[in-house]
Amino acid sequence: MLLALLPDSAAAQTPSDFAGTVGPLYQGILARPSDLTNTLQYAANASADDIESAIGTYEQLLFYNPKLSRVRFELGVLYFRLGSYDMAGSYLRSALQMPDVTPDIEARAADLLAIVDKKRQVDQFTGYVQSGLAYQSNPGSGPGAQTVLASGHAFDNRFFSQSDWNWFGAFAVNYVHDFETQNADTFEASAVGYDAQEFRLHQFDIGLVEFRAGPRFGIPTGDPKTSLSIKPYVIATGALLADTPYYGGVGGGLTVHTNVGNLALDPYVEIVQQSFRSSSFYPLASGFSGTLSTYGLQASGPIASSWGFQTRLGFGHASDNYNPYSYDVYAADLWLPWNFSFPGDGRMWTLIPSFGVSRWLYAAPDPTIDPNTTPRTTEWRAGLGLEIPLWRQVVLATLVQYRADRSNVAAFTMHNLAVSAGPTFKF
Amino acid sequence: MKRRRIIFVLAAVLIAAPALAQQQVGTATAVNPLSESTPPGGATAPLTVGARIIHKERIHTTSSGTAQLAFLDKSTLSIAPNTNIVINEFVYDPNSGKGHMLASLTQGALRFVGGALSHAGEASIVTPAAAVGIRGGTFMIVIDRTGVHVFDLFGIGTVHNAGGTMILSRAGYEVTILSWTTPPGQPVRVTVAEIDRLLALLTSKPGQNGGVPGLHTVTIGECGLLGTQSTNCPNTTWLPTDTGFNDAGQIITQGTQFGTGTTVQGTTARPGR
Repeated sequence: MLLALLPDSAAAQTPSDFAGTVGPLYQGILARPSDLTNTLQYAANASADDIESAIGTYEQLLFYNPKLSRVRFELGVLYFRLGSYDMAGSYLRSALQMPDVTPDIEARAADLLAIVDKKRQVDQFTGYVQSGLAYQSNPGSGPGAQTVLASGHAFDNRFFSQSDWNWFGAFAVNYVHDFETQNADTFEASAVGYDAQEFRLHQFDIGLVEFRAGPRFGIPTGDPKTSLSIKPYVIATGALLADTPYYGGVGGGLTVHTNVGNLALDPYVEIVQQSFRSSSFYPLASGFSGTLSTYGLQASGPIASSWGFQTRLGFGHASDNYNPYSYDVYAADLWLPWNFSFPGDGRMWTLIPSFGVSRWLYAAPDPTIDPNTTPRTTEWRAGLGLEIPLWRQVVLATLVQYRADRSNVAAFTMHNLAVSAGPTFKF
Repeated sequence: MKRRRIIFVLAAVLIAAPALAQQQVGTATAVNPLSESTPPGGATAPLTVGARIIHKERIHTTSSGTAQLAFLDKSTLSIAPNTNIVINEFVYDPNSGKGHMLASLTQGALRFVGGALSHAGEASIVTPAAAVGIRGGTFMIVIDRTGVHVFDLFGIGTVHNAGGTMILSRAGYEVTILSWTTPPGQPVRVTVAEIDRLLALLTSKPGQNGGVPGLHTVTIGECGLLGTQSTNCPNTTWLPTDTGFNDAGQIITQGTQFGTGTTVQGTTARPGR
């Protein structure tokens, strides 16, 4: 077959045919490599969708002048985008040593080098610690004070909608151990914690911590631009509500990671055995105990320069001890993080609009609330987060989030405006 | 299997040699003296920027010489000082994207940055100790007193010789091969110092300009952009969405809506179980 191909291929390589298939800019590089305008234009175009070709072209420019920090920085970015962190690190470090390095290149190179240095570690830790103040118009997600239950029962008036401030703290730690195999097998663990202490409404004081851990096995795809891995993991969650032990969950999950071009896909399934404990504020909580199964898909990728997206689509089924508490929920969320340089400030700010909707379908009417209506609730969420760089790894993280629930049960109809801000240390 | 294919391709090239012999397969895009080229059947002459590279051309660099070759399929070869390389075969049909590239490195070091042929797994570089099939990809190959070193910078490399086969599939790892009959070694992580040294080796030295003087500055938009929007820039990491705030809100909502109990004449109602 190849023997038959050769003469045709030879014919196909005439310059006139070639110009039509590789484009005039690359043809210009082959014909006039010292035409710097053409070479730069080709490198810029190739950067968008042909990273390796752009690398070859910028390396050509570096032959002409090896002291150009801008070219070295671009090469660092291109190798970074390929996932070739050693090469990225070498070019970025060398860019910083060039005499023409500018403050903006210094700042961007330092950001990327921090990531590169972590990626090279066998044991990698990332995460954040945050503390701050928050205002919520309805921290308990309760209905309006005039709400009357169809069951004729009175709603506990401590849980009607009322506003309050709280102090909150949050943290996340992600750990990755790299087994240094050619399949990129790792062990991953994460811990997330959140604690909020209300100023007045202490029935809504909450503390929550969740651990996840499991090995990730890389699966060879034969295509360097397509990665595939599978990760089984365990989940353990505990929560205090009103300063009383309230919830514990233990379970497991399975997720697959793959990418199609720049699009990362992470489908997952989780099953958690949930155990709720009744308390003086929440005397019926034990009825929530049961099994929660979740099936979902997370996806993320770039949209445009410095602008990306992350989305999560999920379905959950809760089979609770008290059947009216059982439910199905369909949920969709979208985040659109955008990095930008604030005018007059060379550092990178991040604006994160977010949108979400959930549809809750309960299994049966709850006689204590409405004996004739099976609750159906649609929850809408919209938010705007802003990360403002303060000093090195410290940012001021602010979040405005509005949530509105519409339900066929009056007690479940509510809205809440939450505004929070606090310094955050990222590592 | 890989070796058999390389032999098959070589045989094919011999048959088609007359048609291919004088065909341009690439261009010398940067050259530092002294770098020389020897076309098949021709005399050795200094290599210059813009020179055509043809089948079976041998490129040789001296202790101060370096060069970069760009090929029709958009792959490039950067050649270190004291290097001998022959472009044994280069067949590329840009319409179908099919073809094959085969080069021999007998001395020195090179960096290969892939193009259309290597993306299809059709690029091979033969060294005295192993044949390296490249899919992707960006690789450096170095021959020194300790053997042949294959560095995976991106892509999948099949390192094959009479002793066996080793697949390199992870950027940042290298394999050392001692001889054609010795099995390739296990992949080990490259060091920062090694990468820095090789990068310095594979470009111009102070005072050199690759044969194109006058490039004092460049104007490049952010992440290679020239005023156009693209997805070039790596995004700075942002705070995760699972901060616990939403989970906490859900627990409270559920508790408020169902778990608080309602009072019937002062008595807390219980789920009917």
